[in-house]
Parts: sequence; C-alpha cells; structure tokens
Amino acid sequence: MTVRKRALAGAAVLVLCIVVAGLVVGEFAAPYYQRLFMTFLVNLIAVIGLQVFMGNSDITYFGHVGFMGISAYAVAILATPVAIKRTALANAPFGLGAVEISPLLAVAVAIALTLAIAFLVGLMMVRQTGVPATIATLAFLVIVHVVLVNWIDLTRGPRAFYGIPVKATLGWALAAAGFAIVLARAFRDSKWGLQLRASSEDLAAASAVGVRIRKLRLAAWMLSAFLMAMAGALFALFIGTISPGSFYFDLTFLTLAMLILGGMHSVTGSVLGCIVVTVGVELMRYLESGPVVASLKLPEMFGLTGFFLGLIIVLSMTFRPSGLLGSDEIDDLWHRRRLRKAGVEAS
Amino acid sequence: MFKAENISVSYGPIRAVRDVSLDVAEGEIVTLLGPNGAGKSSLISALIGLVPRAGGRVVFRGEDVSALPTESLVRQGITVTPEGRRVFADLTVAENLRLGAATRADRDGIAEDTEKFLDMFPILRERYHAAAKYMSGGEQQMLAISRSLMSRPKLLMLDEPSLGLAPRIVDQIFEFLVRLRDWGVTILVVEQNAGDVLEFADRAYVLASGSMQFAGTTEALRESGDIMEIYLGLEGH
Amino acid sequence: MDYLLQQSMNALSLGGEYALLALGLAIVFSVMGLVNFAHGDLITVGGYAMFLTAAWLGLTNPVMLLPVGVFSVVLFAMFLERVAFKPVRGAPPTTGMLMAFGISILIQNLALIFVGTRPKAVPTMDFLMTNITIGSVRIPMVQILETAVTAIAIILLVVFLRRTTIGIAMRAAARDVATVRLMGVRADRVVAAAFAISGLLAGLATIFIMARRGAVDPFMGFTPVLKAFVAAVIGGFGSLPGAVIGGFALGIAEIMLQVVLPSEIAGFRDAFIFTAVGVLLLVRPQGILGQRPDFGEKS
Repeated sequence: MTVRKRALAGAAVLVLCIVVAGLVVGEFAAPYYQRLFMTFLVNLIAVIGLQVFMGNSDITYFGHVGFMGISAYAVAILATPVAIKRTALANAPFGLGAVEISPLLAVAVAIALTLAIAFLVGLMMVRQTGVPATIATLAFLVIVHVVLVNWIDLTRGPRAFYGIPVKATLGWALAAAGFAIVLARAFRDSKWGLQLRASSEDLAAASAVGVRIRKLRLAAWMLSAFLMAMAGALFALFIGTISPGSFYFDLTFLTLAMLILGGMHSVTGSVLGCIVVTVGVELMRYLESGPVVASLKLPEMFGLTGFFLGLIIVLSMTFRPSGLLGSDEIDDLWHRRRLRKAGVEAS
Repeated sequence: MFKAENISVSYGPIRAVRDVSLDVAEGEIVTLLGPNGAGKSSLISALIGLVPRAGGRVVFRGEDVSALPTESLVRQGITVTPEGRRVFADLTVAENLRLGAATRADRDGIAEDTEKFLDMFPILRERYHAAAKYMSGGEQQMLAISRSLMSRPKLLMLDEPSLGLAPRIVDQIFEFLVRLRDWGVTILVVEQNAGDVLEFADRAYVLASGSMQFAGTTEALRESGDIMEIYLGLEGH
Repeated sequence: MDYLLQQSMNALSLGGEYALLALGLAIVFSVMGLVNFAHGDLITVGGYAMFLTAAWLGLTNPVMLLPVGVFSVVLFAMFLERVAFKPVRGAPPTTGMLMAFGISILIQNLALIFVGTRPKAVPTMDFLMTNITIGSVRIPMVQILETAVTAIAIILLVVFLRRTTIGIAMRAAARDVATVRLMGVRADRVVAAAFAISGLLAGLATIFIMARRGAVDPFMGFTPVLKAFVAAVIGGFGSLPGAVIGGFALGIAEIMLQVVLPSEIAGFRDAFIFTAVGVLLLVRPQGILGQRPDFGEKS
C-alpha cells in the first residue's frame, strides 16, 4: 500500500468509528448524551483544525478559537429570524437586521468570510516562527474577542445572542466531522503536508527554500481556519445561543489539552485526545457539583474541570510531550503490528 | 594524576567512542591525536561530564570522580578549553576572565592572575573592556586559555587550540603551553595538527573511529610509520 | 498642560509596570529559553499570599504586607522552577511553553477551588492612595512610586548583571550554558537566580497592582501576562533592554489611545493596540531590539 492509500484507509477507519458511535448514540442514548455527543463532534472538528496547523508546522497556535467565533457569529447574524433580530439587534449595521437567509447559505457565507479574514491574517502570520508567531496568534484571539464584546450593535456585545435556528442535526455533525478527518489526513500525508512537516523540523534547511515554506504554512493555516469555521457554524446552529465568552480562553484550553494529550502530530491522536478529555471533563463536572458517592457527600469543588485540564497538559509535558500517540496514525500502528507479525513468522 | 578507563560515548545508536582508556601523569604534556571525526571531542566532552558516558570510570588524583557533574570536576581542578574557543562573545575580556575565576574567592589572587595574563598577552590588556566578539581567532584563543587558567586548574584539557589559526599564532600558543608546565599545570591537548604538537608533547594517544590506535611516548609514535601515515598523514621514521 | 502632565505620569507608571513584567519574562527566556506563561499567575499568588497573611495571621498592617507580597512571589517563582520547569529543561521550547501554560491553568483553578471566584480584599497602605499636588496637578502617589521603583529596579538589575559574578554568568548562559558550566558555575544556580530575579520583578509589580486593585481573584494574572508578552515581543523577545523599551512603549501607546479615542470606540482600544503590534511584527518580526534568529539559536 502506498502511503497515500494507507492514509485514506486510516482516515476511513476513524470516520467509521465515529459514525458508528454516532448512530448508536442517535438511536439509543438519552437526550443529554446526544447533546454531549454533538458537543464532542464540534470540539473534535476544532481540535482537528488545531492539529492541521500546529501538528504540521510546529508552531503553537492559540488563535484558532477566534475563527470559530467569527464564523459562529456570522451564521448567527445572518440566519436568525428577523423577528428576533428586531428586538435583539435593534441597531444592526449594514441593514443586517432585515436579512435572514437559510442556515445552509449562512454557513457558506460564514465560511467564506472566515477564510477571507484568515487569508489576510495568515499573510502576516506565516512570516514568523517560534515565540513571536505564538504571541501573534494570541493577539489575534484577543482582537477577535475585543471586537465581539465591543461591537454591540452587531453582536449584542457580552450578552448572549439568542434565537439562532437550531438546524444542526446529528447527521450533519457526523458528516462534518468525517469530512474534517479525511481532509486533515489527506493534507498531512500529501506532498504539501510532508514538505511542511519536514521543513518545520529543520528550519535551517527550510530557510534555503524560504518562500516555499511560507506558502505551505499559509495552506495549513487556511485549512485550519476552514475547519474552525465549520466547527463554529455547527456550534451556532446546534446550541442556538452564543456569546463571546464561548470563543475565548476556556475553549482554547480545552481544545489544546485534547490535542496535546492525544499527540499533536497525529489526527488519530486528536480524536483520541478528544474522547479521553470529553469523558474526563464530564467526570470532573459531576464531581465538581459535590455529588454523593458511596454515601459520602463530596464537597463542591468548582474549578476542578479547569484543574483537570491543566493537569493533563502538565503531566503530558512532563512524561509524554509527544502525546499518547506521538506522530502515529492508526494506520501506522496497524502497519507496525503487521510488520512485527511478519517478522515473527519469518523467524 | 588523571586516569580514564574504558570510556564509551554513544549518541543514540552511534558509538562515537568505544572503550577508550588514557591517563595523564602530573607535570606531563600528553597529546590526543587522530583524524577528523575520530571522536576526540566527544571523548573530552565525556571526560568533563558535558556529554553522558555510556560506560567507564574517571579517576582524578586518586579519587573516583565518575559521578561528579561538570561543575564539580572544574572545582576539583580539571578544566577544558573547548573546541572553537567558545569565548563569551557578548561579554568583555574582563568579564570572560572573571567568569573563569568564578570558583575562586581570593580577590587578590584573582587580580594577580589577571595581571599575569594581561602581561603575557598584551592584546588582552588592550581589549580589556571590549566585547570578545570583536577579537580575532588567535586573540580569542589567548583569551580562552587565559580564562581556563584563571581557576588555577591542576589539569588543563585543550580541544584543538590551533584550529583555524595562522601558524605564527599557533607557535605562540604552543610556546605558552610549554611554559604552563613550569607553572605546575598538567596538560592534555587534543590536536589534528600532529606535527607541531609532537615537538613538545611527552606522550601521545592516537584515536581513530572511536577506538584507541596507539598509546605511548612521542618517540615511539614517530617510529611507528604506519600510525603516523595512516592516521596522522605524516611521514614516520 | 496639566492634563498632559497627568497623562504622562499615567503612561510612565503603566509603562513601568509593563516593563517590570516584561523584564521578568525576558530574563527567564534569555537564560533558559522558557516562555513562562505562568508569569502572570505569580502576581495572583502574591496577592493571595498577602490576603491570607492578613486573613489568617491577622497581620493587616499594609506596610508589613509589602515584603510578604514581594517575597512570596520570589519564593514561589523559585519553587516553580525546581518542581515544574527543571524536569523539562532540556526539552524543545514548545514543551516548556506549553508546560508553563498548563501550570498557569493549574494555579488559576487551584485558587478557584480553594479560595473561590469572589475577589478577596487586600489591605493597602493609605499612603499609597494619597495624591501629591504639584502646582495645579494632582498625581497619585502610587504612580510616582511605581515609576521610581521601576527605574531603581532597572538600575539595580543592570548593576547586578554587570558587576556580580552570577549576573555575568547569567548573561553568558543566555548564549552558552555548557561553557558556563566549564567555569565551574552550577547551571542550577544560574537558572535559580534568573527565576528569583524574575520573581522579584513580578513581586514589585504585584505590590502596585494590588495597591490599585485592592483585591485579588484567581484570574487577575491573565491580562498582565498578556500585556507583558506583547511588550517583550515588541522590544525583541529575550532582549532585556528591549523588554524595558517595549514595556514603556506599550504603556505610552495605551494611554495615548485612551486619550485620543472617542468614547464610542474606546472599548476597542486593546484591539487597536494588538493590531498595531501585529503590523509591527510583520514589518520587523524580531521586534525593536531583537536579532534575527540564527538557526541553531533560541528563536
């Protein structure tokens, strides 16, 4: 099997797992768990978006959630019924108060808008590496947040933006997640992805190829923004109510922890990390509220979830900085097992 | 005075140094020779603890110092003038020398020694308050050696002091090394430039591809034509 | 004129605060290559130390709390280094940075769990809250002291780095730790000194931040560290003079914008600043005083 085919096979396996899980949840699970699963899928797309840039270019990236926010708000502003906007967004600029388009169209516009902004920001971003690049992404996140919070006429500022039509179904979410996985794998193992990863590991060699690496980084950046935009749109159409706080540091920590735990150089790692952290966070939330366990009343410990996420990052960095899967994808693991078995048989 | 037994150094799967032993007696000048890539620098780095040893023992003045970290070895009296000089480029000559004396507390003694080196190498006095990066290769080498000697070491290991320097400067430096013997400093000098160093060294080791190929007096080395030719590119007797 | 004087004092004292914080970051980065995201949480820890000392030990005299604030930060910084950062010392810069990030989250949430979200009041010296009147201008004592303390701290730092052996060793270690070890100087000591100084600078900033806010809450360290990073990056990340320049530049820019922007868009002040920083980095990625990274060096 060529690497290319193997990559797609690996991606297919992942998608299959997710889809099967989705079908099971859709059929049998209580509404709470269905919603949890939807949140999981949205987070998954976000983590994969993060992985596409961070995993291939080796630049720590904090701004991803900003793109989610832009897309989510774009969808919200465009798709929310005019009736609601009349009161909620009384002074909307550009006559947006009278605009109402179908959710699908809104998503398309949101994604296009996000990509346009990503392109402009990306042109600046890709010229840097290391710390300045990371700070630049951080700055981007803050800028987006500040704009969302202060452009009250457009976004309702810090208050919740409600009334977004809840049109995102499990089916759409599964399709989007599957698409994200395939896209990420395809990029990672494509000529571009390989070149980008190789150059990122050896900057001295890369500098000899200068402009090329910038183009590659920009491609990864745009792809990442695209995935984040999808996640943001999905989020808006699923939750129905958004606020700037949803797209700031809490979500950043969460997705970062998921990626780090799973392994930032691996799409499979992202999926794994997302699963483990989602389960862990649920557990933490349960414990936070001071439940009764084995007839023992546990104290309320608000902040346990955050602590758990911080702990994941710290422990990963101390013991396994490359994450649970390192750079291995699911097909790499399987391939190695095959080789080992063949080795055993041969000897 | 100094004994290294069965030293091995590995960088991952690559064995840079295999099972090498050498010793230096007090007051000697011993040279470690060998072609490029033989593992000489790796050996020195391992002896001083900058690079981990995959096996072997180091004994200094009767004591097993294998477990000591670099800083402690330096405090015990072993110093290395590293390959490529490695002067602190942004710091002045004065600051470089001061760091050399970091292990000492006797201000008068330090001042005395500083004066000694400034006398010996007038260029250092000229550039005393200038940043080291503005000095030529030869000047930096003089600074590096002076800096190493500021801690009054018993054993000084120099890694390729002649590298990249003009022959005239190399002569100057080697002359200085010979004088060090009078100051009570034992010397182990690593060199690729075998011809010159064999003029004043007492004993020689030849390292190639990580293994010791020769150990003995300089006369014996000169007489073994093969070694001279194959590893050192020189003609033997 | 009076207004100008007042705003200048604002800019100087704010710039001084940013400079102190940015310097702390720059020192740790230059000696260890570590991007210490947990730096802002040092302030939080200092604030809580002051609060707890007042609340539990009954030591409410604000003057006594000043050294508590400063020393708790220094000690905590050194503790963090030993416990959290030493294990990842040889690792690539990303690992260290993410580790610091994780630690920051841990500290914030530990505070959340054990003390709670509500801000806790910390007694401040009344003296600091007074105003000095020069002519017809009223300047808060806090600002004068802050500017003065920053200036003194910077001068002392320069003396330390130029005149003491460990200071010189720190400067040397910024480029070549291995050779510093060859001088017999323990690398551990140099790193600990770097963190101690970083903590000292943060501790000084903490005093003034606490004086202004009067209360501590778990997330108060976030904005300062963000601003500190921006300041350090503007000046050239890792460069000490750059950190100072960046800090003052940021402080001046912030005050200027506050003065100039009409009230409707005043809220966007930070967005403007960050965008300007982004453009600056585009034109000059290494900052004002930074050097173009040489591949093989810390970038």
